[in-house]
Amino acid sequence: MHSSSTSQGDNGLGRWLIYGVLALMALVYLLPLFVMLVTSFKTGTDIRTGSLISLPQEWVTDSWQAAWGTACTGVTCDGIKGYFWNSIKMVVPAVLISTFIGAFNGYVISKWRFKGSDLFFSLMLFGCFLPFQLVLLPMAAMLGKLGLANTTTGLVLVHVIYGVAFTTLFFRNYYINVPDELVKAAKLDGAGFFTIFWAILLPISKPIIMVTIIWQFTSIWNDFLFGVVYSGADSQPITVALNNLVNTSTGVKAYNVDMAAAIIAALPTLLVYFVAGKYFVRGLTAGSVKG
Amino acid sequence: MPVTHTNTPAPLASTTPWQDKMQVWLPKLILSPTIVVTLICVYGFVIWTGLLSFTKSRFLPQFDFVGWRQYERLLNNDRWITACENLLIFGGLFIAICLLIGVLLAIFLDQKIQQEGMIRTIYLYPMALSFIVTGTAWKWILNPGLGLENLVHQMGFTDFKFDWLVNSDMAVYTLVIAAVWQSSGFVMALFLAGLRGIDSSIINAAQIDGASKPRIYWSIILPCLRPVFFSAIIILSHLAIKSFDLVTALTSGGPGYSSDLPALFMYSHSFTRGQMGLGAASAIMMLAGILAILVPYLYSELRGKRNA
Amino acid sequence: MAKLDLIDIRKTYPKSDLETLKGINISIEPGEFLILVGPSGCGKSTLMNTIAGLEDISSGEIRINDVDVSGLAPKDRDIAMVFQSYALYPNMTVRENMAFGLKIRKTPTTEIDAEIKRVSELLQIDHLLDRKPSQLSGGQQQRVAMGRALARRPKLYLFDEPLSNLDAKLRVEMRTEVKKLHQRLGTTIVYVTHDQIEAMTLADRIAVMKAGEVQQLGSPYEIYNHPTNMFVAGFMGSPSMNFVPITVLENSDGHACTELTGSDGKAQLLALPDKLKTYVGKKLMLGLRPEHISQQLSHHSETDLISAARFNIEILEPTGPETIAQITINDHAVHCRLAPDLSITAGQDLDLMIDVSKASFFDPDSERNILL
Repeated sequence: MHSSSTSQGDNGLGRWLIYGVLALMALVYLLPLFVMLVTSFKTGTDIRTGSLISLPQEWVTDSWQAAWGTACTGVTCDGIKGYFWNSIKMVVPAVLISTFIGAFNGYVISKWRFKGSDLFFSLMLFGCFLPFQLVLLPMAAMLGKLGLANTTTGLVLVHVIYGVAFTTLFFRNYYINVPDELVKAAKLDGAGFFTIFWAILLPISKPIIMVTIIWQFTSIWNDFLFGVVYSGADSQPITVALNNLVNTSTGVKAYNVDMAAAIIAALPTLLVYFVAGKYFVRGLTAGSVKG
Repeated sequence: MPVTHTNTPAPLASTTPWQDKMQVWLPKLILSPTIVVTLICVYGFVIWTGLLSFTKSRFLPQFDFVGWRQYERLLNNDRWITACENLLIFGGLFIAICLLIGVLLAIFLDQKIQQEGMIRTIYLYPMALSFIVTGTAWKWILNPGLGLENLVHQMGFTDFKFDWLVNSDMAVYTLVIAAVWQSSGFVMALFLAGLRGIDSSIINAAQIDGASKPRIYWSIILPCLRPVFFSAIIILSHLAIKSFDLVTALTSGGPGYSSDLPALFMYSHSFTRGQMGLGAASAIMMLAGILAILVPYLYSELRGKRNA
Repeated sequence: MAKLDLIDIRKTYPKSDLETLKGINISIEPGEFLILVGPSGCGKSTLMNTIAGLEDISSGEIRINDVDVSGLAPKDRDIAMVFQSYALYPNMTVRENMAFGLKIRKTPTTEIDAEIKRVSELLQIDHLLDRKPSQLSGGQQQRVAMGRALARRPKLYLFDEPLSNLDAKLRVEMRTEVKKLHQRLGTTIVYVTHDQIEAMTLADRIAVMKAGEVQQLGSPYEIYNHPTNMFVAGFMGSPSMNFVPITVLENSDGHACTELTGSDGKAQLLALPDKLKTYVGKKLMLGLRPEHISQQLSHHSETDLISAARFNIEILEPTGPETIAQITINDHAVHCRLAPDLSITAGQDLDLMIDVSKASFFDPDSERNILL
């Protein structure tokens, strides 16, 4: 060990500095959530007289009830509960279908390569980088032709189409690390395409299924662009409703209701994050396409 | 016990040439819907958008070709120019600050910190939120009347003025604040993964050579993280170019169109202002922006692979 | 037990101008243990995969018991394979791993149970049946992989470097195990390895491959003692065969001989077999295995083809059972095998005996063994 005594002293000070910075940044990241929470439990007068970070003088849940059931989102004033269910009706099938298709695609691209399959994979990867603005107009026309404009089914279709590139990427990258010999052994044992998938690969895919479902759930739940373009009045997802609620200018600005609605909109993904954060982070880093 | 091999189980008697053919075609069959849909809904649609950008479509697509008219209009459109300038300011600051915070926090977190898991969880949770939620929260925090400005006033600094949200010169910077808050934790996670991937014997060797810690980070570890820098920049610039939800929720492009961004411009011209041709042209310009970043990156990646 | 005939097997990968397999012809008798050896990239694994049906061949015929199987899917060829990585299904227990192939073939449960009992007892893995592969040691996984292959009683067994992931000690143990198993079951086995000791100890016949061609096919004895060319000679044996360039001369008695020059520059005569008299005046490559150069042995008298010569010992490498010494002949480093208990030090001169009766002679251009 070199120069132990002096560097030990520096280390002590240095470590305090490091912990200090880390703690300060943790506060910075937490502050908005804290502000949202306390604001949502304040009364209107409390907001005007208190400060941003002061605790409510009196904890009330009025704004939560308003956000859920009576707040105005554009022309209607039924809160965001209906839109919350819209989101669920959209997210569940979209996540399941895109994950299912991605698993099969990844299996084919990694284990049953054929002429052109690698080329196709590269083409699809490019799809991950595409700004969706490039497809908004034609997709709107297509949904119109299919009679799916302004419907939840239409939204599910759009999310599946543009989500499959990611789910395929996840499964492909996972299966590429499963030794090919496993598949060869199964072929010699007499197993065919589907048997190998169901009996050998799927049982060891739990981690990647989790990653994919969480990734898809988070990105589809949080989507705003497709929601605002392709949904109708009765199929709007919650992100669109939240935006409408915040921007509806009737009477005094009710920040407490805005915050309650925002927390409600964020709750499902936050919950998933705190329960299965491990998989969420893995999805983020895996989704950061490496060329 | 002598082992005889006479009672060999019969090999699959049921297979027919037809089934064997099936095994060859099945993979292609399974992948083909995705291939068709990708070719149509990604590549076909991009071409369609490209075609639209050469027409005078307004509320509905129509195919009267007008050449480069829409692009000329776009380049003469003040709002589009503002949006592009804003994208440069927003994108540049967003990427730079995210990288700086991300690298620093990752290095700090890599010092065998107790509670690392908890701290990481805190840094990353904004990434699980919708940009709409983030925008809503920061709209409240940054509002001049009752938000941060008011808080600082109450702390005794009554001269403090923080009106960026309603100041047309500064509104675009509020986007930077909110976007950095949401994404810097993610950049930290990328760099932390990169740091953990570095062979620790390199660091040991440098320590034995007598290098100080900052020196080791500056001249050995950060250069090793070059690929992480590249992918982080690619991801962040991608986020910036398609940034739509955040600006919608936080400033709606305002005041006026002072904080407009190309993605918002494209949306409002295509879907609310009945300028479909112009919207399509702006989308194609966005594609050009993405390609300008992506192509050199992929080129260097591929060349690097070929040399390796 | 099955007979396997490989008839002019050729394989070219798409997008490649090179043939990976350039016309392989091998006939394997029922119950024979054939080993494919060769450096990496020689095509031995590709050949194995084509026999299994995991890769197509470009032309030729693969016959099992005189039936052409080249067009059949792997499952219809009735072949079992043991992989280098074992390729055990990670989600299944040992029992399920062994039963998988039988279940797919719709074998009745009672028969499956009996078969698993037989095989697991044979391989002494009956106490592991309910474990998952991840709970097994490398050696146990190896046994299970063999068990999975045996359970189906296929016509033909393929082993793809099955022992190379084991540590040295276990590898020797399992090698013996494989040999015992083959002697007991008399199965037809094609076995790929790059370990020449495995090849020598296990094989009935060895096929040495290089660049998609079989260089020599023969018994271990033939391969070791009568290599057809310098590649085979150099590939088998460790330390490998010494190659010394020589010029064939004729001595005063009319016998063939050559001059060997040591590091001191002094030339010594070495008698050569008379068969080489036709080569007088020509340059040849003398192939001498290290064990054919030794210290003076009292029970060996100097005969026509065992010559004594004195060389400077440059480097000594004691390995325990023997000592490898390095000398220089005709400017080439040459290894010789000495007894371990000689009291010599590096730098000394030593009288050595060279046994030319066992030497091989190669044409320096074609690299072929000229005495075969």
